[in-house]
Amino acid sequence: MTRRFMIAVGIVAMMLSVTPAWAHDDYRIIGTVLKVSAGKLDVKQTKDGKTISMKTDQATIVTRDKKKVSNAELKVGTNVVVDARGDSLQDLLVLEVKIVPAPTAK
Amino acid sequence: MMNRISEVPTAAPPSLQRLARTTAVALVVAVVILLTTVLPAEYAIDPLGTGRWLGLTDIASPPVNPVEEMRPAGAALKPIAKGPISEYPRDFMLDVYDITLQPYEYVEYKYHLEQGATMMYSWKASAPLLQDFHGERESGATDGGPAEESFDKQDRREATGSLTAPFTGIHGWYWENPTGTPITVRLTSSGFYGSAIEIRSDRTRHPRVLKPIDVLASLPSEPAATAR
Repeated sequence: MTRRFMIAVGIVAMMLSVTPAWAHDDYRIIGTVLKVSAGKLDVKQTKDGKTISMKTDQATIVTRDKKKVSNAELKVGTNVVVDARGDSLQDLLVLEVKIVPAPTAK
Repeated sequence: MMNRISEVPTAAPPSLQRLARTTAVALVVAVVILLTTVLPAEYAIDPLGTGRWLGLTDIASPPVNPVEEMRPAGAALKPIAKGPISEYPRDFMLDVYDITLQPYEYVEYKYHLEQGATMMYSWKASAPLLQDFHGERESGATDGGPAEESFDKQDRREATGSLTAPFTGIHGWYWENPTGTPITVRLTSSGFYGSAIEIRSDRTRHPRVLKPIDVLASLPSEPAATAR
């Protein structure tokens, strides 16, 4: 009985410990590709010129006009809209990179 | 036979003097009734004081006994349903929100509403947007519903309507500019919301100051109370 109780307590403790990992927010980074390499993407934000470094993984997809394209299409200077998830701008994992036309001022 | 009919007695017609006297008495009685009863009861005009004495003036101007309003300061704007109407502990609020969405940017703009509270809205954009009108349940909600619920999710350029909050939480719009050109949006709303928040695409949250109804300059001033 004591053993079962301890296992239950352990499971609850584990669940509580991983809860913060779920508390991620979705971020959108809009700008141009500054650097792209395996597992990493740097984008220079249009709005303030800041460089945001993000991680990429196997699940990261690259799209153009809502169609999936090769990662090789990401080149320095490409205009992109990046949807990423994480706790802050310094800790983001890229979910999707959309290749978009260059913004035009109105 | 003819003789019997002619024998029926006939009453003598009243004299002119008597007719005049009877008419005068009737007029006096009518005037007395008018002054003592009709005027006090119908129009609260009581020249002889008989209306007050008989309690008739209350009929013309019954005392106003307003319902005691329970409006505790800071109370949540939770509606109290009374048939087809809902009463709230505070006045409704007004809001006009303008934003320019830069290329590919999005924003969320939401109001906090208690379950059952109502708001009306109209918004218009300079070009079609991706939009999702939705609500987020308060953290810790125990009604078993999903954290978020969409009410209207489709590309739009404008919308006008009303919302009765299906649950307590923040309710509002996700607007995304899908183009490479800035788009402006103007939202006008009024309702029984307690607060508003703007959530930008960098996840920063910006509370908004809402206006109470008395800021409307076009409203006439409140009429002064008059005692009858």
